[in-house]
Amino acid sequence: MFEKSLYDLIRGLRNHKGSEKEYINESIKECRKEIRSNDMDLKSTALMKLTYLEMFGHDMSWASFNVLEVMSSPKYRHKRTAYLAAVQSFRRDTEVLMLAENQLKKDISSPTPTVISLPLVAIPHVINPSMANSVLSDLLPRLTHSHAAIRKKTVVTLYRLALVYPETLRPAWPKIKERLQDDNEDPSVTAAIVNVVCELGWRRPQDFLPLAPRLFDLLVDSGNNWMAIKLIKLFATLTPLEPRLIKKLLPPLTKIIRETSAMSLLYECISGIIQGGILEAVEGTTEGEEVAKLCVGKLRGMMVIEGDANLKYVALLAFDKIVKFHPYLVSQQQDVILECIDDPDISIRMRALDLVVDMVNSDNLTAIVGRLMRQLRNAPIASATDDPTHDRGRMAGVVPYAESDDSDAEESLRPHEQKSDQPPPLPEDYRVNVIRRVLEMCSRDTYSNITDFDWYIDVLVQLVRVSPSTKAISTAEEEDAEETGDVGRRIGRELQNVAIRVKSVRAEAVDAAQSLVLVDRRDQMFPASGNGGLGVLDYAGWLVGEYANYLTKPEPVMTSLIHPTSLQLPSRTLAIYLQALPKVFSSMASNDQTSWTPERKILMSLLMARIIHFLEPLSTHPGLEVQERAVEYLELMRLAQEAASGTATGAEHEEFTDPPLLLTQAIPALFSGAELNPVAPGAQRKVPVPEDLDLDTPINPNLQSLLAQAELEGFETDEDDVYAAYTEPIASYTETPTAISAADRLDAPHKEPTSYQNAAEDEYLDPDIIARRKAERKERYKDDPFYIDPEVDRGSGAVTPLGKIVREGNMEVDIDSIPIMDLSFEKRGPSPAGDDHLSRTRSPRRPTRRVEIMGDETLGGDIAASNSSSREATVSPRLNHGPNKAKKSLLEVDSSGLGALSLDDEDGSRKLTRLDVERREAEEAEMRRALAEVERLRGWRLGVRRWLGRRRRR
Amino acid sequence: MINAVLVFNNAGQPRLTKFYTQLETSVQQRLISEIFTLVANRPNSACNFLPLPPLLANSSKSSTPTTPHNDTPSLVTYRHYATLYFIVISTSTESPLALLDLIQVFVQALDGLFENVCELDLIFNFETLHATLAEMIVGGVVVETHLDKVIEGVKAQGTVAKRPVNEGKGGMGFAGFGRGDGGVWAGR
Repeated sequence: MFEKSLYDLIRGLRNHKGSEKEYINESIKECRKEIRSNDMDLKSTALMKLTYLEMFGHDMSWASFNVLEVMSSPKYRHKRTAYLAAVQSFRRDTEVLMLAENQLKKDISSPTPTVISLPLVAIPHVINPSMANSVLSDLLPRLTHSHAAIRKKTVVTLYRLALVYPETLRPAWPKIKERLQDDNEDPSVTAAIVNVVCELGWRRPQDFLPLAPRLFDLLVDSGNNWMAIKLIKLFATLTPLEPRLIKKLLPPLTKIIRETSAMSLLYECISGIIQGGILEAVEGTTEGEEVAKLCVGKLRGMMVIEGDANLKYVALLAFDKIVKFHPYLVSQQQDVILECIDDPDISIRMRALDLVVDMVNSDNLTAIVGRLMRQLRNAPIASATDDPTHDRGRMAGVVPYAESDDSDAEESLRPHEQKSDQPPPLPEDYRVNVIRRVLEMCSRDTYSNITDFDWYIDVLVQLVRVSPSTKAISTAEEEDAEETGDVGRRIGRELQNVAIRVKSVRAEAVDAAQSLVLVDRRDQMFPASGNGGLGVLDYAGWLVGEYANYLTKPEPVMTSLIHPTSLQLPSRTLAIYLQALPKVFSSMASNDQTSWTPERKILMSLLMARIIHFLEPLSTHPGLEVQERAVEYLELMRLAQEAASGTATGAEHEEFTDPPLLLTQAIPALFSGAELNPVAPGAQRKVPVPEDLDLDTPINPNLQSLLAQAELEGFETDEDDVYAAYTEPIASYTETPTAISAADRLDAPHKEPTSYQNAAEDEYLDPDIIARRKAERKERYKDDPFYIDPEVDRGSGAVTPLGKIVREGNMEVDIDSIPIMDLSFEKRGPSPAGDDHLSRTRSPRRPTRRVEIMGDETLGGDIAASNSSSREATVSPRLNHGPNKAKKSLLEVDSSGLGALSLDDEDGSRKLTRLDVERREAEEAEMRRALAEVERLRGWRLGVRRWLGRRRRR
Repeated sequence: MINAVLVFNNAGQPRLTKFYTQLETSVQQRLISEIFTLVANRPNSACNFLPLPPLLANSSKSSTPTTPHNDTPSLVTYRHYATLYFIVISTSTESPLALLDLIQVFVQALDGLFENVCELDLIFNFETLHATLAEMIVGGVVVETHLDKVIEGVKAQGTVAKRPVNEGKGGMGFAGFGRGDGGVWAGR
């Protein structure tokens, strides 16, 4: 049989242009055969080929056992191939790993340095806690190996061991420290140790303070810039613990800043001074001012003088760290930073964007937002489909294709600059990011930076036009859309927020919403291509409905709402439109000052006919919310239509004829009433429980029998039900459409349930909810049973708390007497956030800019405390998820295990605590288990061997 | 620490993949193509730092790589040499400018081993490529930055195979290295 070498494989790959897939599959098949042979050379070659193909995404996990076989070969060449294959292909769930343990131990103890290197390099990739425990004893002596190369690799390998098995550091750290303290140690080893210490340092900085003198000497004397960088990074974590270090560090650091020719070192010095809190520590002294000036000056220099994009980028990173503590230092550099917002390089723009969000204040907001808006408007909207060649993210694997032109690959790596120099179009996620940042900047601290809300509304409308299109969201994800960030919805929410909170511009906000809703203006208002920004319609639709009386053009709005294209909208938006529909209608139809002339009658009938025409097909819409609303309002409209046609018109120019009350009173009453105000999260929880609220007494002692009775109820009564539901309440409407009926509407238990009935909620969620509903239906002439006070005679009609308030309020909805709305700014305690923005917006300094912005409403005094606590309460479940394994970032190496282990050998007695003992016992037990498993697998392997041997002999 | 070192060519073909965390093969491939998409669109005048690819950005939630010291990869550094991109993904404990130098040393070491190295050398000698990297980075921690010592370490493992003769080799004459030349931020 002809066997391919790796070289043949690669050649073949390059010669099979167009049919690489078949070629690779064929090759893998061959490898499967070759790897089973007894010839170690053949096995090893096959392994090498597989490792090569693994790079392109071809699974080789099935060969893990063969990897171990080749690893045990006495030849270095074989070993090297096998170790590389192990590093590249072993995963967390690779089971044969424990079998490798003995081989690793053997190779670590090999007399040949190159052989020792193999396990040292491989262990970080494959280690697990039980193995770590076992190879530790073999690794430790390697710290004093005669070859520096072995010593430095051992140090790092021990560090990776410690990550999965923190106990490693108990025996290893003293030895590593010894190496570090040794002046005669090879500089490479010292540098490697410093790198490791730098990784360990930020986890447990206190343990490394005793080393500070030695580290300081290394920083000053070594002359190794690589190491100096790491040392400075390490010191930045130590200085917060030991302020005296700052005084000592400052002279050498400033000396480096002034003298070094290495830009990386210069930058890290500045970065270290910033991160180590040195600027804060020396603040106020002349020395401190000098240092700050030096750092900021150098950073500015990196941005302007050098003209090097990399320096610009890292300078922005450094500024980003300063801005939180020394905003004034950064704001002095505003000019150069703002330039970066328009940098052709996206990476730099992103950094600048992050930075300006923290720099923003009421003076520069307009300018910064203006720059960003210009950017969004001028760049064409790029979509992923523009560049299909680059959209390979979903591909399962990369197929190595034959290079068309070998000369390309022969090109020397010694660089020569690429020629193409055109700026990339704005990528979508950057666009989204910019829009989010603009909204974030503007809405910060309840709009404290905004002085001109008309401007803000214009910005919002403009943002809609530059929104990138969103991917089609499946219905399941639709609810998450807010989280995943459809920017259109975010913009809409801002518009809604402004309309509600800032009464003085409500008319303008509604006007903006109106222009967004209008169908014939959609081309102007939204991006030309894609579905970008359509999410804003959810909120615009709500606004035109809720504030229909602000509309300047209700008729076109109505036309747009019931436009055939509305049927194409996502069901969530459509549902909102449906809710807006009767609101707009009522604003158009409710005028009771003008006479019911024939002309008006015809107009109204026509309008209602159109609405009905729109609603009818929706009553079978697959979206339940849409369907429900469509059915409800369809009936309402039909009734109104009946009422309109049944009301005689007055002759023109004669006496006043009343329009139908259903139009002028009943329908408006459905939607008017309480003004909607922003409520702080957690405010509901602060609503005091009414003293007479008794949740323990059974509402109806005979509930069980009622339920049983309900079960027995037949269809007949149900049909009765339906009939009654259609007739009775409606009849009462047409006859006495007074404000009381509207108030009664408010009684509907599902309007305000949670605020009062928190405790009752679990009752509400009762599993036999269906049965109870039947019972409710039976009791339909009484009110909802939850609200019935058992003392009250049922016959007189129960009164809900809200209803009572409304009635007592002399037929007027007196919002102030509703407990949840009993809120006042004055009651607010001293809260930094709240007071801050209030004082800022109301400061006499700029009286012209004063805009009343409604804050979140809440109960009780301490808004800050309540806010934070409630936010915490709502957020904490997520936070708990944070450090969860599942949420761990890709590629992340978790070093949290080190946090618990003290390296401080001052308490060197190191008594074994009970925990330690237990842990050790557990480890030993695990070891025993593992060993047993190894034995078992070995037996199995032998068996397989024997079996294979027999088969071969046959 | 360093989380991954990747090398791929101008067409996105991987030439070296080294992940210092165990990662599913399919995820590796996705990450490679995401980074390639990011890097391929960049003009040459752009800086050598990439925004986080979606796979990494999602998990860390924020795109700011400035959260001081944590285990999450926050920095993607790259350099482009002729037909190849060299990528390093790292956490914030690494210095961005020093990483650029590190890539430079890596390429210089390869150049020293292969004499006027080109992509073909790396294709046919991918074991040597791995060996060179292993001399510089072990388990995500830099162990050597000194050019001679890296080359010495690789050579100690056996002779470095030469490019197959019939693969040919265009005569390339390039003087020195590009941007790192002149030691603007030479960390050595």
